[in-house]
Amino acid sequence: MRAVRAIAANTFREAIRDRILYLFIGFAVVMVVSSKLFGMLTVGDETKIIKDIGLAAMQFFSMLIAVLMSMILISREVDSRTVFNILAKPVRRWQFILGKYLGLVSIVAANLVLITIVLMLTVLVVAGQLDLMLLFAGAMTMLEMLVLAAFATLFAVLTRPILGSLMTLAVFVVGHMSADLWLLTQQLPGALTRAVIAVVYYLLPNLERFNFRTEVVHDLAIPGTAVGWAVFYAFAFVVVVLFLANLRFRGKDLK
Amino acid sequence: MAEIQLSVKDLQKTFHPGLFEDSIEVLRGLSFEVARGEIFGFLGPNGAGKTTTIKAITEIIYPDRGEIMVCGLPHTSLEAKRRIGFMSESPYIYRHLTGREYLRFSGELLGLDRTVLAHRITRVLDQVGMSGRADRTMGTYSKGMLQRVALGQALLGEPELLILDEPMSGLDPVGRRDVRDIILTQAAAGVTVFFSTHIIPDVEMICDRVAIVVDGRVQAIGSVSELVSEEPTSYEATFFGAVPSDLRTPLEAHHLAGGASWVRVATENRDSLIHELGDQEAKVISLDPVPTTLEDLLMRHYEKTGS
Repeated sequence: MRAVRAIAANTFREAIRDRILYLFIGFAVVMVVSSKLFGMLTVGDETKIIKDIGLAAMQFFSMLIAVLMSMILISREVDSRTVFNILAKPVRRWQFILGKYLGLVSIVAANLVLITIVLMLTVLVVAGQLDLMLLFAGAMTMLEMLVLAAFATLFAVLTRPILGSLMTLAVFVVGHMSADLWLLTQQLPGALTRAVIAVVYYLLPNLERFNFRTEVVHDLAIPGTAVGWAVFYAFAFVVVVLFLANLRFRGKDLK
Repeated sequence: MAEIQLSVKDLQKTFHPGLFEDSIEVLRGLSFEVARGEIFGFLGPNGAGKTTTIKAITEIIYPDRGEIMVCGLPHTSLEAKRRIGFMSESPYIYRHLTGREYLRFSGELLGLDRTVLAHRITRVLDQVGMSGRADRTMGTYSKGMLQRVALGQALLGEPELLILDEPMSGLDPVGRRDVRDIILTQAAAGVTVFFSTHIIPDVEMICDRVAIVVDGRVQAIGSVSELVSEEPTSYEATFFGAVPSDLRTPLEAHHLAGGASWVRVATENRDSLIHELGDQEAKVISLDPVPTTLEDLLMRHYEKTGS
C-alpha cells in the first residue's frame, strides 16, 4: 500500500500546486458567500435560500474539480510519460490506478471540506446557529464525487483527455436524470429504443440517490435506510468502475 | 559462464496504430543476453526497436511473443523490478516537484524505509552532482540537470541492473562525460549496465559488449574489438610519381597535395592498385588497411536490411 499512498500523495501535491484548482475553489467560495445576496434579493426564508444555493455551488464546483482534475492528473501522467518511471518500479498497474483515484478524491474532499466550512460560517452569520446537517450534505456530495471520480479515472485510461472529461460530464448530467430516463422507458413506443434506454439506466449511476438537499434545506427527516443504500450504492459503483479501469489499463501498451 | 543478468529471447512486437493504418512490426524475434557486471551497449539507428525492447523489459508495453528474464526472474515479478534501475529516454519529470521531492517519491515507490531513503537521497544527489540544486522545482531545470536527477532516481534502489534509454542523448560534452563517469563507477561497483544509444563513440568508449540492432533484430553481437576485427573494407595508399585521376583502378576517394597522392580503394581492388602503381614506377610511401569501424558495421547492416 506504500506505493498507492505515494502515488496518491504525489497526485494531491500536484493538484495543490496547480493554479487552476485555486481558481475553482475561489469561484466556489465566492458563490457560497454571495448566496447571502441572493437571499436578500429573493422572497422567502433567507437562510434556506443560502443553504440551497450554497449546496448547489458545492456540488457544481466539486463536479468541475473532479472532471477537470482527472483530466489533468491522470491523463497528463500517461501523456507526459511520467508513468514510465512509476511502472518500471515494483508497482502494479492497479496500484497506479488506485493511487491516482485516491489522490483525485482527496483533492475533491479537501475542496468540499473548505466549501462546507464556508457555507456553515455563512449560515452561522445569517441565522445565528450552526447547522450540522450541512456536514451531512457535504458527506453525501462526497459520496457522489467518489462515484464520479471513479468514472473520470475509467475514462482517463479509456480515451483522450477532452473526450474523457466530456464523458464524465455526461455521466453527471445523465446520472441526475435517471428518474426521467426510467419514465422514458415506460412511455417510448419502440421496444428496442426502450431496451437501449433501460440499459443506459442500469449502467449509469443514479446520482439523485445522493441528493438530500431538499431535506437539509427544509429540515426534513432523512430515512436512515436511504443513507445506508446511498453509501452501499456509491461504494459498489466505485469498486466496479475502478475494476473496469484496471482491466483496461492492465494490458495497455504505453507509448 | 558468467551469470546472466538480463536474458531476452525471441521478442516480437507489432503495433496496430488504428483501423485504417498498417500494422508496424517493430521487434522481429530479438534475442540477446547480458552477463553480470557488463556494460552492454544496445546500438542502432532511430526506429530500430531499441526503446521498444527497453519498454518491454520494464513492462511499459507487452510483447506479443518472447521471454524476458531479469536476474533469473520473470521480468514482470516485483522482485525483478526491485533489482532494476531504469531511466527513460528524455527524462519525463514532474514540473511541480523539486529534485529532492522527486527522489523521495521514487524511493517511496521502491518501498524504501524513511531513514534509509533520506540517506540514499543525499548520497545519490552527490553522485549525480545535484546536491546544490535539489530544492529547486524541476520545471526550472536544464535538460542536463533533468537527466542527472532522472539518473539519480534510477540509482536510488541500488539496482543490480541499470537500464538506461539513450542516457547521453541531447547532453553537452560535459554532461556526456559525467554520465559516462557515473556508468563506469556503477560498473566498477558490480552493477550491470544496459544502455541504448545511437551515438557510436559512447559505445566504443565504455562498452564491454555491444549488440547492433537494426529492423527489430540483433544483427551482430560481441565486444567492440570482436565486431570490428573482420576483414578491412578498404585500403589507403600514399605515393609519389602517379596521378590518381590517371589510374584505372576504381577509387573510393583520392587527393593530391604537394606532389604526394592519397587514394582509398576497396579491399578487392588492392592488388590491382599495387600492380598499376608498379607499372607506373610510382614510389609507394604507405599502403594501410582501413579497419572496419562500428559505424561501417552499423551502416552495412542498415543497408542490408533496407531499413
